[in-house]
Amino acid sequence: MINKQEKTNLLSQGVFIFVCLAVLTLLEFLVAVTFNSLVVLVVVALVKAGLVLYYYMHMSKLNENPDAATDHESYAFKTGTNRAGLWLFLLSDAFVFGGLMAMRLNLLGLTRPDLNQNLGLFVTVVLLVSSFFMNRGETHLHNGNRAGFLKNTMITFILGLAFLLGVVMIEWHAIPSVAEAVLHLFGEPAGRTPLKPSSGVAGAAFFMMTGMHAFHVLTGLIFLAVIWVNGKRGLYDEKQYPVEAAAVYWHFIDVVWIFFYPALYLIGTAI
Amino acid sequence: MKHNPLRNAFVFLLAFGAVGYGAGLGIDRFVTGDFHFSGAVAAAFALLFSVAAFFFGLYGYRGVTRGLTFQVVGMFAGALFVTLIRTLMGLKAFDAFLFSEPAWVFGGLVGAIAFLFGVGVVSDWMKWARGIDTPEHHEDEPGWRKFFGVSLDHKVIGIQYTVTALFLISVGGLFALIFRTELAESQLQFLTENLRLFDQSGPQLYNTLMSLHGMIMIVSILLGIAGIMNYAVPMLIGARDMAFPRLNAFAYWLSVPAIMLLLMSLVLGGFDTGWTGYPPLSARAPVGMQMFFLGVFVAGWSSILGGLNVIATTLRMRAKGMSPFRLPILVWSALAASIIQLTATQLIGLSFQLVMFQRLFDMGFFDPAKGGNPVLFQHLFWFYSHPVVYVFVLPGLGVISELLPVFARKPLFGYRWVALSSLGIATVGSIVWAHHMFASGMNEYLRVPFMYSTMLVAVPTGVKFFSWVATLWGGKIETPTPMLFVLGSIVVFLFGGVTGPPNAMVALNLHLHDTYWVVGHFHDTIFGGFVFPFFAALYYWFPKATGRRMNEFWGKVHFWLMTPSFLVLTFGMMFIGLRGMRRRIVDYDPAQGFDHAQLILTICAFLIAISILIFLINFFRSIKHGEVATGNVWKSRSPEWQVPSPMPAHNYDVPFEVVGEPYDYGLAGSKYIEFAADGAGKKH
Repeated sequence: MINKQEKTNLLSQGVFIFVCLAVLTLLEFLVAVTFNSLVVLVVVALVKAGLVLYYYMHMSKLNENPDAATDHESYAFKTGTNRAGLWLFLLSDAFVFGGLMAMRLNLLGLTRPDLNQNLGLFVTVVLLVSSFFMNRGETHLHNGNRAGFLKNTMITFILGLAFLLGVVMIEWHAIPSVAEAVLHLFGEPAGRTPLKPSSGVAGAAFFMMTGMHAFHVLTGLIFLAVIWVNGKRGLYDEKQYPVEAAAVYWHFIDVVWIFFYPALYLIGTAI
Repeated sequence: MKHNPLRNAFVFLLAFGAVGYGAGLGIDRFVTGDFHFSGAVAAAFALLFSVAAFFFGLYGYRGVTRGLTFQVVGMFAGALFVTLIRTLMGLKAFDAFLFSEPAWVFGGLVGAIAFLFGVGVVSDWMKWARGIDTPEHHEDEPGWRKFFGVSLDHKVIGIQYTVTALFLISVGGLFALIFRTELAESQLQFLTENLRLFDQSGPQLYNTLMSLHGMIMIVSILLGIAGIMNYAVPMLIGARDMAFPRLNAFAYWLSVPAIMLLLMSLVLGGFDTGWTGYPPLSARAPVGMQMFFLGVFVAGWSSILGGLNVIATTLRMRAKGMSPFRLPILVWSALAASIIQLTATQLIGLSFQLVMFQRLFDMGFFDPAKGGNPVLFQHLFWFYSHPVVYVFVLPGLGVISELLPVFARKPLFGYRWVALSSLGIATVGSIVWAHHMFASGMNEYLRVPFMYSTMLVAVPTGVKFFSWVATLWGGKIETPTPMLFVLGSIVVFLFGGVTGPPNAMVALNLHLHDTYWVVGHFHDTIFGGFVFPFFAALYYWFPKATGRRMNEFWGKVHFWLMTPSFLVLTFGMMFIGLRGMRRRIVDYDPAQGFDHAQLILTICAFLIAISILIFLINFFRSIKHGEVATGNVWKSRSPEWQVPSPMPAHNYDVPFEVVGEPYDYGLAGSKYIEFAADGAGKKH
């Protein structure tokens, strides 16, 4: 059984990592709007991704898998197999996003679409905060606190939805009047024409990358809804792997955005 | 009165084909105001109706029939939905092929997803999402019926894959026969300009068939290797099943709607890009192009998830004592192939998606007028499509290494080198893709590095050849049918191999690039690396699956008819290729003097087809009438042959432990596995 000290440690570790990520995000934004060094931006993104992979996605759990000598029908062994399968899937999925990144670098090089940077920072922060709450929810469940798990998962879900709407409704101008009103709040200069899929390679790359990412956010939201509903019925009090899987997937979406955010909003010069 | 299910199936096929044709014709008449008797719409309806009805007659309304029905309904529902929205938005609702292009694409996607729900392969997952537990395993139906519904047994799924692959090979081969017949003589004989079929003229139909021959064969090979891997890997490593049985079934059933979509691309106007689908041509080909992209995309997911499962199974489900260097070689090569499948496949999916979106939303990825870059497509595409040839051949080369010691009665030479050479091929093979693009106008500085990396592939491949030759050296060689095919594949793959490096040389490649030389080279590698080992594997494991042997005599006839015809075919291709015969074209100048050679090639193609026909008859006949063989037919040391055939569900009743080296044939006192004594540790 985990003692109280360990429980608190796990929670405060989540907070500490979140603070690091927030500072780094702010740093990259400031670098981008001041001296815009590509090297710094790449390094910051790699550090952020490393933090999420290690602390939030606890990649090292892959090494803690019970070995083949364990009973193959036991829950612990099956969890190990499921974990391996999920990470293999994420590896495969990473190639999609890697391909999109290669496409963006080939077509746009060191230019980027002309977008509202304040809004970009805002949605990035929203997704980052959601990752924090996801971690907190998972830790609560691990600590045997079902109510805390449900509350934090719900917050994650709402923030994820906010991110999705921010991208699809506002950035994509799905509802032009709402988009313009919100963009105005974010200090959008008057008269900038909104990006369209058909407006050159910048538009094509932007819509393809955010679209593929938004599709993953959508599926992540579905998983969150599933674990919330089933968690409420106490399904995961003992067998917690589904929650871990949904959390790892959610953080993976965040890792993708850690690279897509600078690629779309920060590096190079706006065209 | 008792009906023969197969007869029922064909009656239903014809009847509903006719009904579908009539319905399509009527709807087309209603929308366009004209009858198109050989048009796309009538053909599409006939295709969809007849395939679904075939399985209804065979099997009743469940399993695959239900899936196909859902797919057809889903396709039309999706297409009508988009059509409705387009009407509301004031856009053009109907187009040349009844629905507009976005409607067909959306409908195709919805249809594919609907299939999965219909066939029932996602029902357990849906229950889990609702918090309902399901039993770990499901009982299969007895007899042949279990192959037409969802089964979680890896052996059933392996056989489903294999038979689907054989079906697709036949379809792709049929397409090849059609255009090979046209090529037998210069000038156009029957694929003429006046011909109108599926809204395509003869030469257009040639292009479609030639393109689909490529992709259908590729999908069939992916299914074929998935069949071998699914059937053999869990048995070889002593597992009860794959790591993820539901995912395994899901991956298989994805391939069925994918095949339907690929066949739809033939009737919906076809496409003329070749299997590579390069833009800008693919950005303006008919709707068939989109169905092709969609079909490949769905088939790609099948391959990705299949590969994932093989990796997870190998990592997690091995028997006690099966350390990495005691794994059967086939498992090593399956692992290497699966790594490529898992990762690189995403890139062909992405490249095809980008063209789909370029067409649908006018996005400018590959459109130079918008700043796009067509060469980018080729990079993304070949990043998968070159390594995928190693996905095709690696399991085949694994089969060669697996079977050779059995029939040479000698240890496999250089086990560790052979095991690691598979990973070597997979690794080096992933950084050679741009050798397909020497003539494409890509940056010139890329040419030399890619030339050298390509040449490097010959090293790990050479390791395998040395091992095979050294294993044969001094062995007591027996030559039943599987061994004949193993020896045949070594010879054919050698020819494929040595004709490769010339293509890799930039200086030569620029001249060889668009010629029949490449076609000959490619077919040599794939027959040597996949087709021959595939047949070897089928003859070899057939008794394991059925408890009966395939007929030896007809097996040998198959081999001795196919091998020489095939060698003449590919040598002939290379011969006229070097003299300037261009690939992918419907016609050639009589003055080039290729008429005789082309006639010989066509005759060889038909001889191969006859040999495959002999194989198919032998295969299906032997299931019921083959000589009974329940023991260790080939005197193999491999664990699956130490228990009686056919293999029971969940494989080994008593678990085994690995205590020695896998291929120590002929060494006195050597042992590979030991079953737990007196059923100790019995699993159920």
